[in-house]
Amino acid sequence: MSKKLTLGFLWLSFIIPFGLLIYLSFSTQWYYPSLTSHPFTLSHWESFFSGSSGLFKSAALSVFISLTVSFLATTSGFFISRGIAYHTKSRWWLVSAYFPYVIAPVVLAVMLNYYFLQIGFSGTLIGVMAAQLLITLPYAVIFFYGYWNQNIRNLENLVATMGGDFMQKVKHASLPSAKGLLVICFFQCYLISWFEYGLTQFIGIGKVETLTIMVYRFVTESNPYLAALAGTLLIVPPIVLLFVNRKFIFQKGWSL
Amino acid sequence: MIEVKNLSKSFGEEKVLKDLSFSHQEHQTLSILGESGSGKSTLLKIIAGLLDEFSGDILVDDRSIAKLKPQDRGAVYLYQEPLLFPHLNVEQNIAFGLRIKDEDTERVAAETTRMIQQLKLTGQEKKYPNQLSGGQKQRVAFGRAFIIHPKILLLDEPFASLDPGTRQEMQILFKEIAEQEKITSLFVTHDLKEALLTGDRFGMMENGNLRVYDTREAFIDDSGTGVKQEIEFWKNLK
Repeated sequence: MSKKLTLGFLWLSFIIPFGLLIYLSFSTQWYYPSLTSHPFTLSHWESFFSGSSGLFKSAALSVFISLTVSFLATTSGFFISRGIAYHTKSRWWLVSAYFPYVIAPVVLAVMLNYYFLQIGFSGTLIGVMAAQLLITLPYAVIFFYGYWNQNIRNLENLVATMGGDFMQKVKHASLPSAKGLLVICFFQCYLISWFEYGLTQFIGIGKVETLTIMVYRFVTESNPYLAALAGTLLIVPPIVLLFVNRKFIFQKGWSL
Repeated sequence: MIEVKNLSKSFGEEKVLKDLSFSHQEHQTLSILGESGSGKSTLLKIIAGLLDEFSGDILVDDRSIAKLKPQDRGAVYLYQEPLLFPHLNVEQNIAFGLRIKDEDTERVAAETTRMIQQLKLTGQEKKYPNQLSGGQKQRVAFGRAFIIHPKILLLDEPFASLDPGTRQEMQILFKEIAEQEKITSLFVTHDLKEALLTGDRFGMMENGNLRVYDTREAFIDDSGTGVKQEIEFWKNLK
């Protein structure tokens, strides 16, 4: 019984913040000591769908940035990690992939800001995507590094000795066993990009209005109701990805 | 005909192959014995194009292949593990080499069926590698290599992971198909019995060099190979 109570309490403590966020997105006024918000309204959601609050544009922009960044990071990370794993100085290259994480992404942004300004990337969509790639790409490289074991290398060699070119090696030896890993890496890069704030704010200088930027903006503007709406939109992809992860990867038994 | 001329290879300070030379006739199997680390696998990998930075030359039908990419050498390398493609079934695995060369579909189908029959794999065509036994996997790996008729088949202890019964069965099957398909091969093994059973010629790898014997008798009679002593040991075992 006490185990059930503990589990129930834990479940509730996990759910309540999300519930509160969704509840707030339907509110306009909620002042102490009132226990409930009054009146209950759909106006924030209506403004989202009508586009008048600018949140729809931000959500669409965030989806576009995250999909592009995660696709580029996953595909290039897969091949770059192969190059690194097969390189004679692979350990040195791997250590350098940890660099953005050792110094923290936002410090990296400060360090690179000069170059972004010089090439005209500062305050642009391309600049934000390039900045996000600086953390997602090394992540993907580290993620895939361990995949290139002796077995995969032998399989690639076998394809080569049978007359296969580079693309055939990739198609028949490298990719089939990596399907599940590619999907997981894509999801994780998507989430890194989706929740990214520091780099996006610094390189985008507030001009590239992603959903995370909007959440912080509404918070600083003391608009908890629109901040809650933006926050609700922000947690939708992780929930969808969790569902997809469970349904398509683990149940279909893709090789990992 | 394969000719290896003055082949030398070092890993750091260690010289693994030392000015190694030999030649090998077509449609024959050269069984190569030798201790671990004697350079047997290194020799096969250099011939296959999987290792670089060596000196010497490798000629196939009087044409040097030493500088060619692995895919242009016509030398298929078979590992100890069958290394089947997990996403392809038996039929597709065997047909792989012909498919990537864009061979005619009807020819591919006919050749694959013939090879499946030769390998006694009829009825297993649609199975995936994870549904096969160790011996069946190795048969598929052989079929996949035999079907493209490589100029040289390089076998690096292909039966080492099999149980004794399956191993013997596979040795006999290999010998049969290699003769039928007129395969030229270099067969590296640790097992003396396997070497004697599969080889037409025999080689002993020692100190980075290869001594080649043209007949089984010459190989057994040379006291340096240790074969005679081993046969005596088994004869006298009580």
